Amino acid sequence: MSQITLLVDASKCTACRGCQIACKQWWDLSATKTTQTGTYENPRDLESNTWSRITFHEYESGGKFQWLFLQSSCLHCTNAACVDVCPTGALKQNATGFVSFERDLCNGCAYCAEACPFGIPRMETINALTGEAKASKCNMCQDRVTNGMTPACVKTCPPGALQFGERTAMITKAKERVETLKARGYPEARVYGENELGGLRRMYVLTAPASAYGLPDSPQYPVLASAWQNVIQPFGYVATALAVVGLALNWVATRRSRLNHVESLAAPAPEAPAEKEEV
Amino acid sequence: MASVATDVAARPEQALVLRFTAAERVAHWVHFFAFTVLLGTGMFLYVPWFQPFALGASGEAARLAHRAAAVVFMAAPLIYLIWSPREFFYSLKESFSWGADDWGWLKNAWNYYAHGRTGTMPPQGKYNAGQKFNALTQIVTFWLFVITGLVMWFGRGSVPPDLFLLSVVVHDLSVIATVLLFMLHIYLVAVHPLMRESITAMFEGTVSEEFAAEHHGKWLTERVFRKRKDVKRQT
Ligand code: HEM
Ligand code: SF4
Repeated sequence: MSQITLLVDASKCTACRGCQIACKQWWDLSATKTTQTGTYENPRDLESNTWSRITFHEYESGGKFQWLFLQSSCLHCTNAACVDVCPTGALKQNATGFVSFERDLCNGCAYCAEACPFGIPRMETINALTGEAKASKCNMCQDRVTNGMTPACVKTCPPGALQFGERTAMITKAKERVETLKARGYPEARVYGENELGGLRRMYVLTAPASAYGLPDSPQYPVLASAWQNVIQPFGYVATALAVVGLALNWVATRRSRLNHVESLAAPAPEAPAEKEEV
Repeated sequence: MASVATDVAARPEQALVLRFTAAERVAHWVHFFAFTVLLGTGMFLYVPWFQPFALGASGEAARLAHRAAAVVFMAAPLIYLIWSPREFFYSLKESFSWGADDWGWLKNAWNYYAHGRTGTMPPQGKYNAGQKFNALTQIVTFWLFVITGLVMWFGRGSVPPDLFLLSVVVHDLSVIATVLLFMLHIYLVAVHPLMRESITAMFEGTVSEEFAAEHHGKWLTERVFRKRKDVKRQT
């Protein structure tokens, strides 16, 4: 199957937030009551019922001021830590590269939310004491894209800032766009996500450094998550297997030595008082 | 257990000594029960073979049972402390006191437990060096389980992600350490021919004086017999 990528051209985004709403509509996610805090950015963070939102940033460089808008959502990493730590398979890497999510399989352990280098998955906490919860995040409109459609956000984007298609084609488009932007007076234009974490399936064209958009400049797969998955867990299996072998060897040795309880009591007991008493 | 019980009954002339108080036995079995439930339910998240049990509602139930058992697990040492503080602190002190006889035990352990060469084994206290090592590991991992477990339980989303991940790592290392000791423990009390009687102590509280003399000679002479003499002097 060919590899897919959703290309977000931040330079074309007008912050209309149509994608934010299209996502809620398609997935039937409830609305959130928002408050005015001095910015159009709302809600102020991803939520279990807000999988994608537009973030607003101000950036100044070389005497030039820019309004930056970014569709912030799951990046669909190729080396996805969330998939590796998920004990249920609720999070999976689709053959086309995006990270799908099956809510019914999720048991609420929250490992994905803690392992994601971008802090994307949100837990819908049902009961904090019992730990009952469900993870939630963008699933790249798994139902639509596996049936030949584009994600709801891409479908709705009026200025065409969102595009969806085959990965190599998207990379070519992104690079061409960066050249155009550079020629038009955006020397800091760049592609974000071509190689990060094996390649992000939500790839960006940016006109400022990643950090200006609230993205990590060089996102890293968390060291502790790979230690846990690749070292500790296998070590547990090996140690247990070795212990079984060791105990079996001891058991064979006791057979060989014809150990038995009665013989072992041959040693003389130390002097004991004559009468028997409760201690 | 019937076989062990009849074993003892078949030698009615044998003197019995009290090895574990009721508090010690109850705390032990409460701890055992909580530990096995925690291990069983935790494994669903750890071992990919058990993935079918980790899914959806079944996984939620396992995680809930894990939390319930964790409360019992944390209560077990309190039962011991409140019910039988004297034995609690005696055992605690013993576990931290290491001397020449303990190193002697380590040196002779294989010869003793594999070949039954009892001659060179130095006399042991209420706990032999292996049991002391087990106790110390249980104490250390107890606190590691409690701290990391509570971080994962209540710190989710509010502690730094790296602290959460570190907690899972340390939780897993504690699981590995305790599972290895648990396997050895079960093997010694349930399978090993020299140790058959030790499990009676955990059910009925008593062992034969002969068993105590062979396995815990120092304890028998220095504590059990001395206490008896105290009793005699008072009466
Ligand atoms: C005070 C005691 C303990 C507490 C509070 C505790 C709590 C937790 C929590 C909160 C989790 C994360 C999964 C979830 O949210 O349900 C977890 C995972 C786990 N626990 Fe415990 N636990 C305790 C003791 C133990 C013990 C004694 C064992 C085994 C001997 C154990 C084995 C495991 C395992 C294997 C996992 C899965 C780790 C993984 O996914 O790699 N836990 N525990
Ligand atoms: S951004 Fe986070 S949630 Fe999305 S695929 Fe990468 S690790 Fe998983």
